[in-house]
Formats: sequence, structure tokens, C-alpha cells
Amino acid sequence: MIELHNVSLSYQRDAAALSNINLKIEKGEFVFLTGVSGAGKSTLLKLLYGGLNPSRGQVLIDGQNITRLSSSQIPFVRRKVGVVFQDFKLLPGRTVLENVALTLEVLGWGKRDIGKKVYHILKQMGLEHKINTTPLRLSGGEQQRVALARALVNDPKIVLADEPTGNLDENSKESVLNILKEANIKGSTVVIASHDKRLTENSHRRMIVLDKGRIVEDSNGRK
Amino acid sequence: MAGNKAGKRPKLTREGFGGQVAYFFNRAIANIRQNILINLLTIGTISLAILIFSLLLLLYVNLEKVTDKWSERVQVTAYFEGELPPRELKVLIGRIQSLEGTGKITYISKSEALKRFRERLRGQDALLEEVSADILPASLEIQLKKEFRGDDALSYYTAALRRVPGISEIQYGEDWVQRFNSFMDFMRLLGLFVGGFLVLAVVFIVANTIKITIYSRKDELELLGLVGATRLFIKIPFLIEGILQGAAGAILAIALLFGLYYGFIHNAGSLTNFNPLENGIVFLPLTYMAYVFIGGILLGFLGSLASLKKFINV
Ligand SMILES: Nc1ncnc2c1ncn2[C@@H]1O[C@H](COP(=O)(O)OP(=O)(O)O)[C@@H](O)[C@H]1O
Ligand SMILES: [Mg+2]
Repeated sequence: MIELHNVSLSYQRDAAALSNINLKIEKGEFVFLTGVSGAGKSTLLKLLYGGLNPSRGQVLIDGQNITRLSSSQIPFVRRKVGVVFQDFKLLPGRTVLENVALTLEVLGWGKRDIGKKVYHILKQMGLEHKINTTPLRLSGGEQQRVALARALVNDPKIVLADEPTGNLDENSKESVLNILKEANIKGSTVVIASHDKRLTENSHRRMIVLDKGRIVEDSNGRK
Repeated sequence: MAGNKAGKRPKLTREGFGGQVAYFFNRAIANIRQNILINLLTIGTISLAILIFSLLLLLYVNLEKVTDKWSERVQVTAYFEGELPPRELKVLIGRIQSLEGTGKITYISKSEALKRFRERLRGQDALLEEVSADILPASLEIQLKKEFRGDDALSYYTAALRRVPGISEIQYGEDWVQRFNSFMDFMRLLGLFVGGFLVLAVVFIVANTIKITIYSRKDELELLGLVGATRLFIKIPFLIEGILQGAAGAILAIALLFGLYYGFIHNAGSLTNFNPLENGIVFLPLTYMAYVFIGGILLGFLGSLASLKKFINV
């Protein structure tokens, strides 16, 4: 589902944010990407949805080499990838419902279907009473769940989440993690970038550890 | 790990073409509503720009009308010896009429010439007593067709006229005609310059205003790209918004211009001794209004298109 071959990326000369990454994530996997702050986790996620292009190497998503795609083909890759951004990127001028609906509007879905589907997923996340609220009036945990809903509403093949539990209390962390696990059970391949050791260590999931832009450990978690 | 995806995904219909169009329009309207102030600013800028431009256009239309009238005075007078018998006169007129560029021909007999002369010198009767009809020659006053009133065409025409047998002399107030013609050339050039400069300034200002509106929504543009919107999908609502702004701006400008025009024709007469209506001052013809309207739409559309280029390279 996700393959990286000899991928390197430098924002500036002589300072590689990622060096020579080789990685394969199979369909249906649930993977933690960890490492200290600045290790390159966010950078790696950006490569997976075409937010950045590698300086060297190839990135394959669902069998497509996205480093070779033209910019007009990138949107169609992004439709397969639901991203939960670290800063949420919710539009403050639109309601919760409208924010989540964006993902489906882009696909050209009809209004009724969008309404049903969005309501359904927001209900699953316990946000059905906040449908007509704007994001700025929500708590951090609620905003995070709206961001999750927007990423998951079209049942994407891949889900990428960047620090989805950062700044959340224990209860919210738990519920966010459960939502992502559920998405995985429904068939999505999930990659979570997090520097939160407690979150990743007891999970018994595959864990890829980055340090200074290199993979230093890749364990399947079943010790 | 089990990859059992998408099995229970509900069947969902895609929006048809009509639905898509409706979606884009609704999106544009919602955007305008959400950013009402900045939209009013854009519409205001567009309408101010169009107002200045159409004010110039109105001036031009009316000046052109006035100069059309003036240039009717560009005429050539052909003199001949003595008084011709009617038959010969007819032949002469026929010959002149066959010259390319000849408009209306008026025959001024000796007595007619004397009458005019007297009118001009009224109050100086002492001078007139010496003058009899014999001194003044008969003549033909020839008006020229519109396209023959320019300098070059005029000298070409007079050269041809001189070759017509029977004509002893021709006169055409060269000086006056030349000065008038070069004045008009200057005015047209000036109009072209000012108009051209104005168009550039307007496009620049409007594009920048729209750029500000779009800049204020760059997060939205970015996010749409990230959730997989195609460039066209992102652009269309903004382009529709631009078109609506342009149309609103143009309508507002024409309404304001009409207000100015109305105020002018109803007040100028009482404030000055210039009566606009008697002097044939008109409002923009319908076709020009249509041009202004289409121009406004284009302005909004192109302004949005140009500004979007800067932000969308997803
Ligand atoms: N836009 C950027 N421009 C320049 N350097 C960047 C940029 N984004 C990240 N970096 C650098 O790249 C390295 C990896 O950053 P990042 O991927 O954000 O790490 P992480 O998400 O693991 O904390 C860091 O050294 C960071 O300073
Ligand atoms: Mg990060």
C-alpha cells in the first residue's frame, strides 16, 4: 500500500530531514511512526500525500509512483489518503458539518448523501450535537475529532495522522486512538506519527522509529 | 492483518451536471455572504473603476457627436466666371457630383451672395452702397462626405475639383480645416492614451483587490487541495464569484453614471447658460452599456483568474 525506495529529502542544503528511507507498509497495517521531535516524522507523512516531493527516491502509494505524477493527477491520489493534520486545518468560517462535508463535495457526491454520511460519522464520534457549531467554539479534543471525521468520512484506503493525541487529555487520547483502530478494522491502512512514548510502547503494533531522518528501528510490536 | 475494506460501504450517487453547477453557484454565493465586507470592497473598487471609464466613454460619445456636427462645416467653395445659364450649371453640378467624396451641393447665385454679404456687414451701410451684385461671384458650396473631411482626403479632393472645367477658383479655409483636423487627431490620441492607461490601471487595481480577497482565503484553497480537489474544482467558485462581482460592479457603475448624467442635464441649465438637452447631450447608447457590462464581467473573471494563478499550484 505504501512503499518508499531510497527516499531522501532536504529542506536546505547539507541538512537532510530524511536520508535514504526504505519502507514498506502493507494493506491493512496499523503503524506507529515515532522518534523525538525533529526526527522527520511529519516530513515523512507529507511525502505520503504529495505534500512534499522527495529530493531523491521513489514513493509508491497504492501501486502508483507519486513522484512521477503530474500535478493534475495528485488530487486523485489524495482522495485515497485521509490526513489528520497536526494543526487540524479546520476552516473557521464553516460549521462542523461543512468542514467534514468538504471531503465528499470534492468527490462530487450529492447533497443528500453527504448530509447522511456526515451526520453518521459525526454521531459515531459523539459530535452530532455540534454539527452547526464552528470549530473555534470546540474544545481541542472535539476539534481533533472533527479533523478525524473529515479524514475518515470517505473511508480512505490510507489514513495518516500527525500527532493526533498531542495536547489531549487521557480520555480524549483514548477515544482518538479507538477511532483510528476502528478505521483500521474497516479496512484502512493507518499510519500514526507520534512522539508520545506511552501511546506507542504499550500498543503492540508495528513501530517505526526515526532518528535524524533515518529509520533506526522497525519492530512489529509482538515481543 | 486483515485487509477487509469497503465491503459495507453504502451505495452513493454522484451529483449530476446540474447538481454540480448548482453546487458551484451555492458555494460562490456562500463565499460572498461569508466575506460580505471584502466582497463589497471588491465590488466598490470594480464599480469605481468602471464608473471612471464609462464617464470617459460618455464624454467621448458626446464629443464625437459634437465634432460630427462641426465637421459638417468642412466645405469647399468653387467659384466660376460670370453667371452660368441653367443648363451649363446643371452640367457642372453633375460633374462635381460625380467626384468621389462629394456630399451636398448648394448653388449660391450672385444675388444670393450679395444678400449674405449684406447680412454679414449689417450696420455698415456706407460700405455697402458701393457694392453691386456684379462684383461678387456666383459659387457652389460643396459639402464633403464624412470620410473626406480629413487633411489628406481634402487635398486629394480639391486637386480633383480644380481639374473640373469651368471652375476658376476654389476656396476651403485651409487653415481652419487643418487646425480643426489636427485638434481632433490630438483628441483621439489623448483619448486613446488616457483610456489605455485607465484600462491598465483598472485591471491592476481590481486584480489586486481580488488578490486580497483570495489571499484572505488561502487556507481554504490549500485545504481543498489537500482533500483531493482538482484545480478546476477549487477555481470555479472563485471565478463565479469574480463574475458576480464584476456584474454587480458594472450595474452599480452604470446606475451611478446615469445618476450623474441625470443630475447634470437637470441642473446644468440653471447653473450655467449651457443647456445640455438642446445641445444634444445623450446618455450611453444601449450597445455601449452592454459593452460596459460585459467588460465588468470580464474584469471580475480575469481578475480572479490572474489572482488564483498565484495561489493554486497544488
Ligand atoms: N518547512 C521546513 N523548512 C525547513 N526545515 C524544516 C521544515 N519542516 C521541517 N524542517 C526540519 O526538518 C526536520 C524534521 O522535521 P519534522 O519532519 O517536522 O520532524 P518531526 O515531525 O519528527 O518533529 C527538522 O530538523 C526540522 O527543523
Ligand atoms: Mg511533527
